[in-house]
Amino acid sequence: MKQTSTQPEKKSFWQAAREFFYGMTGMEFAEHALEMRASLENLFMLGTVGDMLGVPILPPYYSLRLLPYLVPHISTWKRRVLREREFSDEHDYHLEGL
Amino acid sequence: MNTLWIVILATVVIYAAYNFYAKRIDRDIIKADPKKATPAKMYMDGVDFMPTSRNVLYGYHFKSIAAAGPIVGPITAANIWGWAPALLWLLIGVSFIGWVSDYTAIMVAVRNDGNSLSAISHKLIAPRTRSILFVFIFFYLLLVAGAFMGIMSALMAARPDVPFGILMLGIMGFLAGQMLYKWKMDLIVVTAIVVVVTIAAMVFGPFGATVNPETKAMQWQGPINGAVVAFNGAVNKITGGNAVMTVYDPTNADPRIPAPGADGKRPSTAVYDAETGAIKTMPAYLFWALFILAFSYLAATLPIWRFAQPVNYIGFWITLITIGLSALGAVLAPILGTTAVNAAGETVKVADFALKPLITWGFAYDPTKAWQPLWPMLFVTIACGSISGWHALIGSIGTARQLEYETDGLPVGGGAMFTENTLGLLSLVAVSIVGTGGGAGRFAAGVGTLLTVLFGPGFKTFGTALGFGAFMVIVLTVTQLIFRVMRVTLSEWVGEAVPAFKNMHISTITSMVLTMLLVLTGTWVYLWQLFGAANQLMAALSLLIVTVWLREQKKNPSFALWPTVFMYVTTLAATLVTARNLYATIVPKGGAAAAGAWAMIVIAILLFVTALVIGWDGYNAYQRYAKGGTTQKAPAAAD
Repeated sequence: MKQTSTQPEKKSFWQAAREFFYGMTGMEFAEHALEMRASLENLFMLGTVGDMLGVPILPPYYSLRLLPYLVPHISTWKRRVLREREFSDEHDYHLEGL
Repeated sequence: MNTLWIVILATVVIYAAYNFYAKRIDRDIIKADPKKATPAKMYMDGVDFMPTSRNVLYGYHFKSIAAAGPIVGPITAANIWGWAPALLWLLIGVSFIGWVSDYTAIMVAVRNDGNSLSAISHKLIAPRTRSILFVFIFFYLLLVAGAFMGIMSALMAARPDVPFGILMLGIMGFLAGQMLYKWKMDLIVVTAIVVVVTIAAMVFGPFGATVNPETKAMQWQGPINGAVVAFNGAVNKITGGNAVMTVYDPTNADPRIPAPGADGKRPSTAVYDAETGAIKTMPAYLFWALFILAFSYLAATLPIWRFAQPVNYIGFWITLITIGLSALGAVLAPILGTTAVNAAGETVKVADFALKPLITWGFAYDPTKAWQPLWPMLFVTIACGSISGWHALIGSIGTARQLEYETDGLPVGGGAMFTENTLGLLSLVAVSIVGTGGGAGRFAAGVGTLLTVLFGPGFKTFGTALGFGAFMVIVLTVTQLIFRVMRVTLSEWVGEAVPAFKNMHISTITSMVLTMLLVLTGTWVYLWQLFGAANQLMAALSLLIVTVWLREQKKNPSFALWPTVFMYVTTLAATLVTARNLYATIVPKGGAAAAGAWAMIVIAILLFVTALVIGWDGYNAYQRYAKGGTTQKAPAAAD
């Protein structure tokens, strides 16, 4: 997964077949695990930087101690939380095979 | 006609449509550009927006769209009109409309920051279009849940070899969730355990059963099926063997109606009166309906990982194995010249079609009978496999947000749709070759016959049981997900006005009660066709959004405009015909059946009116952009 590339990567037939099969089988579990992790991360973020949002959950000392662990996730967390959402964005709509 | 010709025809048509039509639209009109940043790259959030390989997405999108629809639709249509109209619509529909809908829904979402179709319709057409989408989605789900619940309850009550496999599916679903998420076991090991156990339970369902040499009827004397027969008998004794209620099916598609005998007449059975056409709803039927509701309740209310997702995953493997082996049988049968004995005792080639190519055009009108004219009814009876509105919704909220390059849109969206079409064709093959009965029974017999090509004639009974089991699994896994989505939609739709519906148990039970009312009083084919109309109206709506977007972008909209017009007019007409059928053939019977018919007529009218509103708004939006107008304001957050 190269985000800087501007051309799709060429892959062998077997590699493509493996990926196709993964898309049909394992990907939904990986996606669900990511969704569960993101939910926990949202809570963690809220707990630690909550005082900046007016929700003082942790004393600032502990927030600052945890800050180095949060920084790498701030950009993706911000996009997740601030994005406009539709009813169809509910995770229950992400079930495959309907 | 035989199976080999279907394989050759499908290969040629799909190759030509993809390479000479779809690729040209992608290159010349949409102008997909790998250098343009996709929403997955621009808004990467680690969950919904994630650049993903196109091969992975192809598999993911195919899995997301291919379920019961491409199997049930062709089976139903082939039994009403014959295999030729179904084949033509499957091939022509996917070539000119189906891939257009799936692919463009993804591309429109990609070019609109990964917004869903409802948000785009709010912006491009009118704010109320988005609200109407709620109505469509809820009734779409209600109708398909009613249709599937009806057919599953009848199958569970009528086939003692089926329930054990379904019970094991539920148990294995729980076990798979526990093993994967709690015990952190390897996915391959978990898959091997749960899939093997579930398939074994399905295959051994008919173990010990024999065929009566005179009547050709099954005698259920095995340890599993015998126990189910005894259990059904005990449940039926609750009412002293009397029916709880009586319903009618003028289309003769209810699984409780037996297939015609050698004289062309349908015999009376314990639950069917051939003289009056009355179908008895027995306590055992109600028990199995409640069993399916309980199964679905767990799926709708437990955490996804605990039940719904693992059950769905096991169902996928069972479908893949059954359909894959059947496809292999269909390809090998004409090459090996395998033969089988049909219902009349004749030896015939397995690969040859036994079903008539054209049973009826259906245009002959009798004011007291069901009217099934080829146009428009075929085009809503087969949705998935040709064109389906649900795909567009799924594509815009899922796949479009993970596309790494714009040029992946066609192989993922279009490719998955063409692949789903082959699933529809295989169902058509299974139901058209030597088989007995109608609907699901004929499909299961077809699967059983195809499996004899690989495993020998002795496998017919077990193969047929696997065919029934696979059919049930496909439909059940879809139904459990439907109740989950219905619960969420009802909470979102009604929850603001009536806060009690925010409670998941209340919204789930309400959805189930409404579904049961349709199951008990409705007619299977009419429910299926109304569902098809709701689904195809969603397809027309998504194509309309694409057409308006193309107009707004100053691109040639013809390739989406004409399919929009065709789907819109066809499905409006189909809605009216279904309402007429309900009024003419069910309402005069009176009683509970008439109440169910009136409920369905009201739904049909509601769908018709909302479609007219959408059509009017879409026409105005199209004219606005044709005159150089601009878009509406962007949608407000979470309104």
